[in-house]
Amino acid sequence: MKIFKQIGIAGLLVLTSVPGYSEIDFTGSWTPLFHEDYPERFPGPELGDYMGIPVNAAGRLRGDSYDADRISMVSQYECRPHGSDYNMRGSANLRISRDLDPVTQAPVAFHTFIGFQSAQRTIWLDGRPHPPEYADHSWAGFSTGVWDGNMLNITTTHLKEYYIRRNGVPRSDQAVVTEHWTRHGNYLTVIVVINDPVFLTEPLVRSENWIYDPGQEILPSNCEPAPEVPNPPGVITPHHLPGTNPFLHEVADWYGIPYDAVRGGAETMRPEYRKVMGKPEHVPEKCERYCDCGKDAGACNLH
Amino acid sequence: MRRILFAILIVGAVPALTFAQGGRGGGRGGPPPQGKAGAPVDLSGYWVSPIFEDYRWRMFTPLKGDAASVPINDAARKIVDAWDPAKDEAAGEQCKAYGAAGIMRVPGRLHITWQDDNTLKIETDAGTQTRLFHFTGQAPKEGEPSWQGYSAAKWEVTALPGGPAGVGLGMLPRQGTKSRTLDVVTTQLRPGYLRKNGVPYGANTTLTEYYDHWSEPSGQEWFTVTTVVTDPEYLAIPFVTTTDFKKEPDGSKFNPRPCTAR
Amino acid sequence: MKWRAAILAAGVCGWLVSAAGQQPQQNFDNVKIQVTPVQKNIYMLFGAGGNVTVQVGKDGVLLIDTEFEPLVPKLMAEIKKLSDGPIQYIINTHVHGDHVGGNDAFYKLIPKNPQLPLNIIAHANVLNRLTAPGPNGAPGTSTAEHPGFPEDEYDTPYKDFYYNGEPIFIYHEPNAHTDGDSVILFRGSDVVTTGDIFTPDSYPFIDIARGGSVKGEIDALDHILELTVPADHQEGGTYVIPGHGRVCDEADVVEFRDMVVIVKDRVQDLIKKGKTLDQVKASKPTEDYDTEYGANGADRFVEAVYKSLSGK
Repeated sequence: MKIFKQIGIAGLLVLTSVPGYSEIDFTGSWTPLFHEDYPERFPGPELGDYMGIPVNAAGRLRGDSYDADRISMVSQYECRPHGSDYNMRGSANLRISRDLDPVTQAPVAFHTFIGFQSAQRTIWLDGRPHPPEYADHSWAGFSTGVWDGNMLNITTTHLKEYYIRRNGVPRSDQAVVTEHWTRHGNYLTVIVVINDPVFLTEPLVRSENWIYDPGQEILPSNCEPAPEVPNPPGVITPHHLPGTNPFLHEVADWYGIPYDAVRGGAETMRPEYRKVMGKPEHVPEKCERYCDCGKDAGACNLH
Repeated sequence: MRRILFAILIVGAVPALTFAQGGRGGGRGGPPPQGKAGAPVDLSGYWVSPIFEDYRWRMFTPLKGDAASVPINDAARKIVDAWDPAKDEAAGEQCKAYGAAGIMRVPGRLHITWQDDNTLKIETDAGTQTRLFHFTGQAPKEGEPSWQGYSAAKWEVTALPGGPAGVGLGMLPRQGTKSRTLDVVTTQLRPGYLRKNGVPYGANTTLTEYYDHWSEPSGQEWFTVTTVVTDPEYLAIPFVTTTDFKKEPDGSKFNPRPCTAR
Repeated sequence: MKWRAAILAAGVCGWLVSAAGQQPQQNFDNVKIQVTPVQKNIYMLFGAGGNVTVQVGKDGVLLIDTEFEPLVPKLMAEIKKLSDGPIQYIINTHVHGDHVGGNDAFYKLIPKNPQLPLNIIAHANVLNRLTAPGPNGAPGTSTAEHPGFPEDEYDTPYKDFYYNGEPIFIYHEPNAHTDGDSVILFRGSDVVTTGDIFTPDSYPFIDIARGGSVKGEIDALDHILELTVPADHQEGGTYVIPGHGRVCDEADVVEFRDMVVIVKDRVQDLIKKGKTLDQVKASKPTEDYDTEYGANGADRFVEAVYKSLSGK
């Protein structure tokens, strides 16, 4: 019996000492880096700019119809946070925390808090299923994550309808968003893939970087909707009737780009598109807008 | 009591010896294998980068003076404002925008293969450039600067260097994170452009890249390269971008074409 | 006499089914009733027809809408899991068969108790339409033949009462989806049931023949928005049970309302330009909404909007 006791104790120690792979810790405070698409992500996209989006005809028409006055005149739009997929474009600073199982110390969930409109999201790591189809949707959606080595693969469903770009190109509530997070030193890389059967012809893939910033403080964002401007008579929801939006050619003229390219679509995003794309109607001699956006790691100003 | 301790030592020592090398298996002792033998993911094949981001700075040559999003400094601003593609052509420097620090952002396709067991080769159809990732260590001290510089590569291991990655409850080492990332550091670069309209990087640039492979739920393979350009001469802070590449079934669309300055 | 009653019953059933635009003789054998808690006392059940709202509490059970008759046993089984209490109230949001079809069956299944009578409530126009003469001159039916018809009718702008610890408001929404629509607010549970005024997964069916109109539909949606209050940053707070589709909140109702307004504006513009109905349909005023709300219902929706606005 003694020898069995000895082996049993030794075996117990071996089992509890089996080396395991650990997972990346994303917790902490992160600041977005705006080294790509800074003018679009921060000051805001130009009207009618659908470049880089595999948008279909329905998405284009929604974008063409969009009037930003909606945010002022329809009070229910005023305090909306971004959808969780758009939030990862880096609209504001990010804080990540996590829950650990008290017994096993295994991570159960990550929580994100984004400064804009105090947007919060939970990414469940405990294998729980997504809610049924008829459950309610939210800005954050319902997210679950699975590790693959040093990459966390996240799936989000049950999102409310929102935008792919803040000039009206929509992302529907039927979209499924997958993300791939990884960390290299003080850089957090987030790859966001939007599969939207309603407005996209193929998945939209965008990737952003954040830098670890332990000194930052994110304050809560308080917002109370209130009527800001009176609606013109008979106007409930501002929008442009089809074919009447006067702003759609601006971005092509400002930046010397063929109009067809500005309209987006998967075919415009391949390298071979350069062989078939048309000529721009107007090419400025030099940069006139956002030329120094981000200079010296600073702000993004129009001039 | 002595017998219990002896039994623990004997039983615990066997797996400790087996796992001592950490990483992803292989022979007993020493660091994990590198190169082709140590590859946790397969990056070989043909890849295309659909232009989802920075579209008007990548699909077209941006307007002169447009350096939006790049954290350039005053010295770089002067170069951006003075850009003249005709001068670059006359000087035979059409490939300035195809150097290692900018090539992954140029619309085009890649063909990735193993040149040998310790060298991963990336060929670009845009500008017909070749990058070699050497898994054999750091750059030689007397290297000649080139558009692609010298790239030292390794499969990322996040265990602490030089020893076991911490100690668990028993006496066995933790193995750190099971990483699937390819780390590449490139130096000895010729001065070039981050963008075709003359946004510069200098001769003292260090390029650090992280290649991460991932798949869509459909099985479609991608990799994303996080590129960190550190240039004390022209950048206020490191310039960090991510570029996404989608795997193609074959090379039928691989279209080698020369560099252009415009 | 029995054969005459059977023919009339079949006629009414067929009329009710066709009124809802549903295929007759649907097979309900494989339909499973899904149950989802909404908020506090309120649950949503759905199977094949309209959503059913269930309020439970110490007083008993209140239902809003009753689905199709063959599904009533399955609905009852699910309701019994939520509460053993007596079903004392049934409220019908409107006249269509996928919302009132189970009334008679529920009436027969629910034990009769003079102390706790069953109240079946709807706007007066619902009972008027249910008892009106049928198609092809068939005579109207009576409540004697259909004890499940909503005899506890109201024809004021709203009706209210207290049940299961909370005030319940029933608002009439004139000439919206139909002329007999009711929207119900559970003030304590903070839930609104809308009937088919709001259907987040399909275009609204504006039943012109039964008094519906696009102006009334928009007014009703605006009223729902007045009743809903989000809890935090335009989310949660008042939950909304639509006529069909998932649980929603105010932000979802706004998207739907905006869609109806935008399509209405587009059709209005085309009418001003003198376009016929066929020309309006051909211009595809719903093109950017079809994938979301279903292209199959687009023409019917556009036609209803056109007729509503043009009077033709």
